[in-house]
Amino acid sequence: MEAGVRPLPKMNYVAPSSLKEALHLLKKYKGKARVLAGGTDLIPKLKKRMIKAEVVIDLNRIPGLSGIRMQKDGLHIGALTRLAEIKESRLVREKAPVLFQAIGVMASPPIRNRGTLAGNLCTASPAADTAPPLLVLNASVRLQNTDGKRVVPLSEFFRGPQDTVRRADEMLTEVIVPVQKGRSAFLKLGRRKAFTLSVVSVAAFARVRGGKFEDLRLALGAVAPTPIRSRKVEEALQGKEANEENIARAAELVKEEVKPIGDVRASEEYRREMSSVFTRRVLAQVNGRGYNESAI
Amino acid sequence: MELEYLEEVKKLLHGKSYKVVGTDVKRVDSLEKVTGVAKYAADYLMENALRIRPVRSPYAHAIVKKIDKAAALKVPGVEAVITAEDVPGENQIGYLVDDQPILTTKARYVGDIVALVVARDERSAWEGADRVKVEYKELPAIFDPREALKSDIRIHEHSKYAAEVKIVKGNADEAFRHCDVIVEKTYRTGSQDHAYLEPEAAVAIPTGARSVNVIGTTQNPFRTRHTVARVMGWKDSEVTILTPYIGGGFGGKDTYGPLICCLATLAAMKLGKPAMIVYSRYESFAYRFKRGPFEIRYKTGATKDGKVKAIQVNHLVDAGAYATWSVGFTKRAAYHATGVYEIENVTVEGAAVYTNNLPNAAFNGFGNPQMLFAAESQMDLMAEALNMDPVEFRLKNALVPGSRTGTNQLLDHAVGIKELIQKVADQADWKGKRAQYGSEPKGTKRRGIGVGCSWHGCGTTGFKRDWAGASVIVNPDGSVSYSTGIVEIGQGTTTSHAMMVAEVLGIPFEGVKVDVNNTGTMPDSGETHAQRGTIIGGTAAVDAALKLRKRMNRLVAEMWECSEDDVAFENGETYNLKSPKQRIGFQDLAWEMYMKGVPPAEYGFIKARRGFPDPETGQGDPYAAYTFGCTIAEVEVDLETGQVSVLRLIPGVAAGKIIQPAVAKGQVYGCGMLGLGYATTERVLRKEGRMLNPSYTDYLIPTIKDMPEMADLVVVEDEYKFSGFGAKGVGEIAFIATPLAIANALKQALGIRFYDMPLDMEKVYFAIREKKRNGSRS
Amino acid sequence: MKVQFKLNGRAVTEEVEPYETLLDFLRERLQVISVKKGCDEGDCGACTILLNGKPVRSCLLLAVQMREKDEVTTVEGLSKPGERSVIQEAFLEKYGFQCGFCTPGMILTTKALLDAKPKPTVEEIKDQFEGNLCRCTGYQQIIESVLRAAELKAGRS
Repeated sequence: MEAGVRPLPKMNYVAPSSLKEALHLLKKYKGKARVLAGGTDLIPKLKKRMIKAEVVIDLNRIPGLSGIRMQKDGLHIGALTRLAEIKESRLVREKAPVLFQAIGVMASPPIRNRGTLAGNLCTASPAADTAPPLLVLNASVRLQNTDGKRVVPLSEFFRGPQDTVRRADEMLTEVIVPVQKGRSAFLKLGRRKAFTLSVVSVAAFARVRGGKFEDLRLALGAVAPTPIRSRKVEEALQGKEANEENIARAAELVKEEVKPIGDVRASEEYRREMSSVFTRRVLAQVNGRGYNESAI
Repeated sequence: MELEYLEEVKKLLHGKSYKVVGTDVKRVDSLEKVTGVAKYAADYLMENALRIRPVRSPYAHAIVKKIDKAAALKVPGVEAVITAEDVPGENQIGYLVDDQPILTTKARYVGDIVALVVARDERSAWEGADRVKVEYKELPAIFDPREALKSDIRIHEHSKYAAEVKIVKGNADEAFRHCDVIVEKTYRTGSQDHAYLEPEAAVAIPTGARSVNVIGTTQNPFRTRHTVARVMGWKDSEVTILTPYIGGGFGGKDTYGPLICCLATLAAMKLGKPAMIVYSRYESFAYRFKRGPFEIRYKTGATKDGKVKAIQVNHLVDAGAYATWSVGFTKRAAYHATGVYEIENVTVEGAAVYTNNLPNAAFNGFGNPQMLFAAESQMDLMAEALNMDPVEFRLKNALVPGSRTGTNQLLDHAVGIKELIQKVADQADWKGKRAQYGSEPKGTKRRGIGVGCSWHGCGTTGFKRDWAGASVIVNPDGSVSYSTGIVEIGQGTTTSHAMMVAEVLGIPFEGVKVDVNNTGTMPDSGETHAQRGTIIGGTAAVDAALKLRKRMNRLVAEMWECSEDDVAFENGETYNLKSPKQRIGFQDLAWEMYMKGVPPAEYGFIKARRGFPDPETGQGDPYAAYTFGCTIAEVEVDLETGQVSVLRLIPGVAAGKIIQPAVAKGQVYGCGMLGLGYATTERVLRKEGRMLNPSYTDYLIPTIKDMPEMADLVVVEDEYKFSGFGAKGVGEIAFIATPLAIANALKQALGIRFYDMPLDMEKVYFAIREKKRNGSRS
Repeated sequence: MKVQFKLNGRAVTEEVEPYETLLDFLRERLQVISVKKGCDEGDCGACTILLNGKPVRSCLLLAVQMREKDEVTTVEGLSKPGERSVIQEAFLEKYGFQCGFCTPGMILTTKALLDAKPKPTVEEIKDQFEGNLCRCTGYQQIIESVLRAAELKAGRS
């Protein structure tokens, strides 16, 4: 079969007007239906026949699914909140700046005007740029179906490339981002200066007290089957002096934790090397020194 | 083109400064493009038009044993499946070599078209194409030109070579013996995709049993017409190509234009209904013919006073599955192999070899970006060996009026390169920056500045056809209708033509209307490529306008009983220089022409002023004139990642008279980015003949954020006597120079020279790491 | 299915299949040909339209997603017959186009930018346009056109 984009397959379309209705439809159609949020990933994949769907369930008419609210346990970001809206939000910029930073160098404005945070997470590309920031912030996602809801930490959400723990009849309705004091930063390496997939991406969060790393978290994207937290690096630096030497040593460790592949964007070896370079750079940004470098 | 048009024009205009030429006007296509009414091929939507989907070979080399159409024909909406046996005329679309069928029975590249499915709508066509059952006998395939030379595998029966070229000037072997410094290296350049925003498309509309109108993405309406006629078994006159606006060409729609128009015509004429084919972006990337990869062995010898005395060059080109334009770019590379320098002893031997890769064809630069990467790297290497500054070294060897090229062509004028190099170097603060970057503290980012010089002969390479026509009609109301065979592909050339016509007729620019390209009303004008649109196409415009103007002069001279030489046309009015009160408006004069039976229309026709080099020695005049370019680039490399950022580009061109300054600038900016992409981010990744990155996601062209700082364009107007207004061409020159400058700048920044393009970040990173491990210091 | 929305200020009502993209709907059903199909997968920006004032890729939207109150703007909607918008004037003046294929997308993106930021800096322009590819111009004269459009809009000359 000829590859590439072709006219969309004949499929049915429903546009539920409530979350309850949407969940019932999901249960009814199970694997045969796909939800349509931003469409920036679903539509091209349907055109290329990489995804099959008999029914498309358009979520865009459901009220109450988008919005950013500050609650006791952190920022609650509705599933249908557009990436552009998250980027423009003062709440996000103040309370979760690393997420704001990542979205700013992700895709491009027209894509961000439609793409959603939930979509980026559920698509589960190993290179999803919102994942490393949310991982270092210890975010979780709320999954709902007709039987009820559950909250899953994002660190347990991804299973593999394009694979998550979300069941076919579940919908991701909310992302919960704990708000915490500390420094954070996001960096990505791309093959050109904008509008490009990450070859390697990193996010870090840390509190530095008395010159020592407290509560350091490091996450990487595009270097493993899923976005990952680098526990080895975190353990190695926990409680240690936030200096160049320690950071460099830790950055060497990260090479053991990543499991990159070689593809059209980069070779395995290059990704491994770059995961180390960017680990060092992002840690340098949260250790109290350079904070204002551009993210790409 | 024997007339010294520049002189003719100046005389006619009484030596006064130009009113239109050299100013910035509103391009003739501007209104339509900014209001969105400009129609491109795929915009000619017709309700009853059939849609076409090709069936392609998944194998790089295979014989088509059987094609079973039955299942496809059963799909509702499918009206026909067309195969090789259905081709009514000759199954042949070879560009310069007759080696390429339009529908093949032997697949020679992945994607070679074996059948066409024609259906009532897009979806049915796709489904039909899925259901055509083709039985192939797979053959062993070759993807490397060196292997192809050694192998027994025959892709074409007639030869392993798609093209060969030889240049012998003086005696290089002997000269090398007397050289003090010799440098010999091997260079490799990668492929590149045009990646223009408009995918290929064509719609064919039958206008009779043996006639068709075709609207398609083509840069060469006349070759397209001839190829379509050939495939149909008709005469040229029975096919009409109406060229719409083209969404970017760069050479890609030069080779591909005839092909896509033939596909549409076969379908339309088989079923007697309009038929349209529109390529997907995937198809455009995966199957459209691209820049050919070169391998160049280049040896340079110089004496210690800094004069280059000899070069010996061998280039091997991957032609791909069909010759298409290989003859052209293999030869062009050879003719330009010296670079912009006068070298007495030149030996060049080049060959293009068939492989089962996608055919390689025309793309901006056409062999020069590849060859001059080698030539300009060599110049820097020689300068290093001689301990001379790279710019000084180039100035010492540059062509000047009176020089002879590597093919022994005498360049008696229009040779502005030396002045250009000096001006660009001054503009770039070459000496200062070179010293500065050479001595900066070594951090994780390093900067460098480098220079690259280019030249590009204006006119079609490789064969004798290099002519163009034009038509100028003065209407009874004084408005002027102008037609050309040159295509508007974004470069603004037809506007230049209209400006020149307006200047010669002494009317405001707005008085000239450019009509749609229609092969039925214009003599064959060749292709829109090779920087020939203005110098050759435009001279045909001037030829027509001059003839008409002289006739009008004669009429006025008769009316006023004065000398023809005293008749002046300015701002839409004609007056007697000796007695300015004698005036007549252009409108009234037009009417007089009609009333008096004086022919109000004229055709221009020009054949380029050049020869056809000797097949054994390559000596001769392959081009009418050469445009020169010089670009200086400032780059910064990140040692930790290998990323190469181009900080600044300082471009310059010596392209004769610049007809539209703002448009020339735009060309140069665009070319700069094309060159930046070629040098850094663009890679055509292939495995066994299959492109691995056929999308804008993975084939990375520069975005707006990848822009370097662009300095003001440096211009040297080294006018060419034999073209209208002294213009040469400017469409490719600035592209060619850019990657050369970037490569040389990277050498200064990094202390590492790369001998293959592109300079992508992984390659650079690993080279840096290798150097560190080997302990060498820069 | 029936779809209803406003196109360039006028109400549109049509029968569509649910699997028609907004791009194909505009081009093939309504002959709004200024919206171009450059890649059909969201990578190039040639299909840009303004949806309620914001630039989006029409190739990534289904026609049926449009609602009655949704306003779609294409280049045809920027000027009245015989009269051009300042953005179009600016692109004319500053040669913000060559082959013209990416131009409708560029012009609409300019409109969205200037409506939100009347005096954008060059950096802000680059941020807004990073997803619009152009192969001909090298972007320089597009930036100059946007700056000029801002000037004209502000009433300066």
